[in-house]
Amino acid sequence: MPVFKTPFNGYSVKFSPFYENQVAVATSQNFGILGNGRVHVLQLGPAITERVAFDTADGVYDLCWSESHDSLIVAAIADGSLKIYDLSLPPTANPIRSLHEHGRECHGVDFNTVRKDSFLSASWDDTVKLWTVDRPTSVRTFKEHAYCVYSVVWNPRHADVFASASGDCTARIWDVREPGSTMILPAHEFEILSCDWSKYDDCIIATASVDKSIKVWDVRNYRVPLAVLNGHGYAVRKVKFSPHRGSMMASCSYDMTVRLWDYMVEDALIGRYDHHTEFAVGVDMSVLVEGLLASCGWDELVYVWPHGTDPRAP
Amino acid sequence: MSSPSDDPPSKTPQNPVSQVAQANDDRQDPKVEMEKEISSASVFVNAEPPREEQVQNAVRFLSHPKVRGSPVVYRRSFLERKGLTKEEIDEAFRRVPDSNPDATTTLSAVGKQDGQIKSSLNDQQQHPVQVLQSTPVGPAVSTSKVGAISRFRWYHGILAAGFLTVAQVIAAVVFKRLFVPKLKSWIRWIVLEEDVKGQTKKFDTKPSIAEEAAAAAKSAATAAADVARTSQDMLMTNSEEKRCLEELISMLRVQASEMTSLRGAIQKLEVGHSITSRQSTEEHNIKGFSWTTSGPYANGKVDSDSRSVRSLSPPVSVEPSVAPHPKSYMEIMAMIQRGEKPSNIREINDAPPNPNQPLPNPHLAPKPKPWEIGQGQSRSAGTFPSQASTNGFSIDDQLNGDNIVRWRQPNNTRTTETEIGNEPNFGFPSVATNETLLKRSWVPPQPPSVVMPEAAAAIRQPKKSLSQTDTETDDLKSADITDELQKITKISEMGGSFEANGSNSTHSNEIAPSTDERASSLMA
Repeated sequence: MPVFKTPFNGYSVKFSPFYENQVAVATSQNFGILGNGRVHVLQLGPAITERVAFDTADGVYDLCWSESHDSLIVAAIADGSLKIYDLSLPPTANPIRSLHEHGRECHGVDFNTVRKDSFLSASWDDTVKLWTVDRPTSVRTFKEHAYCVYSVVWNPRHADVFASASGDCTARIWDVREPGSTMILPAHEFEILSCDWSKYDDCIIATASVDKSIKVWDVRNYRVPLAVLNGHGYAVRKVKFSPHRGSMMASCSYDMTVRLWDYMVEDALIGRYDHHTEFAVGVDMSVLVEGLLASCGWDELVYVWPHGTDPRAP
Repeated sequence: MSSPSDDPPSKTPQNPVSQVAQANDDRQDPKVEMEKEISSASVFVNAEPPREEQVQNAVRFLSHPKVRGSPVVYRRSFLERKGLTKEEIDEAFRRVPDSNPDATTTLSAVGKQDGQIKSSLNDQQQHPVQVLQSTPVGPAVSTSKVGAISRFRWYHGILAAGFLTVAQVIAAVVFKRLFVPKLKSWIRWIVLEEDVKGQTKKFDTKPSIAEEAAAAAKSAATAAADVARTSQDMLMTNSEEKRCLEELISMLRVQASEMTSLRGAIQKLEVGHSITSRQSTEEHNIKGFSWTTSGPYANGKVDSDSRSVRSLSPPVSVEPSVAPHPKSYMEIMAMIQRGEKPSNIREINDAPPNPNQPLPNPHLAPKPKPWEIGQGQSRSAGTFPSQASTNGFSIDDQLNGDNIVRWRQPNNTRTTETEIGNEPNFGFPSVATNETLLKRSWVPPQPPSVVMPEAAAAIRQPKKSLSQTDTETDDLKSADITDELQKITKISEMGGSFEANGSNSTHSNEIAPSTDERASSLMA
């Protein structure tokens, strides 16, 4: 399976929703503590090659592909700005936009998959901001969390609903038409680093926390989790529901593994990959190719492999 | 954009939605989504009524004097983590008179409390003077003072307690200094009197006088002992108070030292303002928890309260531990703590060269997602996942280009919403497998929603060459065209932004006035 070595430590990897063989990686120098960043756009094939890369002054913590324009990428930068890159332009003409409103690091960004016109940014300044690509300023600011917001995810079926995961140990569900959050899930006793909606059941949400567990919730009955997935040895950094199988999800953790789970099954762990030699911080499942996984880690390696195979196999 | 004050927190969205949708006015139509979402958006809202027990717990928490001193954000966050809903938290804030959910008003309330405290302190300072003159009142005064102290802020409480102890000590000392000499002088005077008397009646009265003197001395001694005992009791109560206060002071000192050390660490790490916070958030684990304990309500009492509430929920079986960070990570952290900057950082200008660079034209139309495809049409479960990008839509692309594809998008979304509206009918709690889902998500009786009758007719020819399911839909379509046309115009009425024709006007009397308003607001 092909592997790509980035000069900086990986932070996030995302498949393009338009091209099966394109993947974007967010990396930060010096583990994201202090230093530059780089956005790589990689071409998959027998080997992974770099199509283009963009340098940033500060680390890149997350990125997302636009759902409306096949050549646009939105990157969340550690200096609190969001940069929009256009792959159809040469690197010297990029970025085409820099949106700087957050007071602290931007840690998460997600593009709306239903209306495909807007995106959200999650920041360590405790707020979530709503943006559209054509506006220079944010459309809405959602300020309720009491600590860093690590992740924000649109609901894949409801164009106005999204969820946020925060270090204040709560996940919140919001509706852009409402001024404040519509639900507060006190999901964990420790910081919640990631959340994701089920693609096939719009009321199911998974949260991943520093307490090493992933909990699956039904928002209609949110006091008790549907499932608690234990197994990771350290904090779970990211969780992602499969676009093809309703109850399957992938997660990556500081224990350097990427795991696949099926929360409807008695023994939920259905796959385990320990190919990374440092923290695994980014994982994604391709929307266009079923079973294709990508992961990146602080070991500066990006792997892309089909589920069921060994990512390190030549 | 729409400010929070413009949006009434109701389920019937009006202008804000249109404003958000204007950015995407050539695509689907939020009105239909909203109609469906009025019924389904309620899923994302907490429908429970406020629980009285939880509200009372919260009121007790908020009334605690230590909690009063903490920022409102922390109080809210604590209650949220305990599982209270917004309604319950707001109700608790309403019931607790002094605490305000607004941070700015909290400061003014503190100011008011300061004034109150100062006046009461003045009163208390007068008390010790009075105590000097009336001993038995001492214990009662001290207890009343303790009661008064518990209502004020902690540092005012410490000040007051400090004054108290000093005053009591002074009182005790003055007692000893004044009373004992007085007692001694009185005894001496008695003895002298006895001596004087004794000089006259030396032999006979001496023993009796001596006895009397001895008795008087004994009574004086017992009185002195009583006084000593009461003063000792007072001192003991004072010392008890002192002990409690000292405990409190020591804990606060610990907190203060932690804070100063943190501040020192922050100042040291001041290489770019965000570095240290990156460090603490990179650590994630215990630090994320420690802010709660180092907060203002980090004392034994509140923690025990919180733990007693927490014990009702299932115990957390896993405790987070610090993941071993890479060696080079620790080296870089150490370097930064020393104030050095890593040498490999370059100066990069990542500002946009042309901030007004026009957005590119998309080369590809957005592809439908696997979960959306499963809802709109039924496909054989085995084949569609890998062919998600090469299904009938690509054929449409080849045939008719962008128009048809764009038309497909709203179709998908609308059918998606329609399906969601039907899901509760299935009692749809969980998802087993992809295949089951697909079968379940295809609703047989519903004809597919078609927007343009002309396009539907045009498409009908190429669609017949596709899978059998399309022929099924064709059958349905051909079955009742007039019904379809009505449905089409109804949907097109609601999808006003997409339509070019004037089908809106003809069927306005069929549609409820609310959708009419939405149509007009969208068209405007």
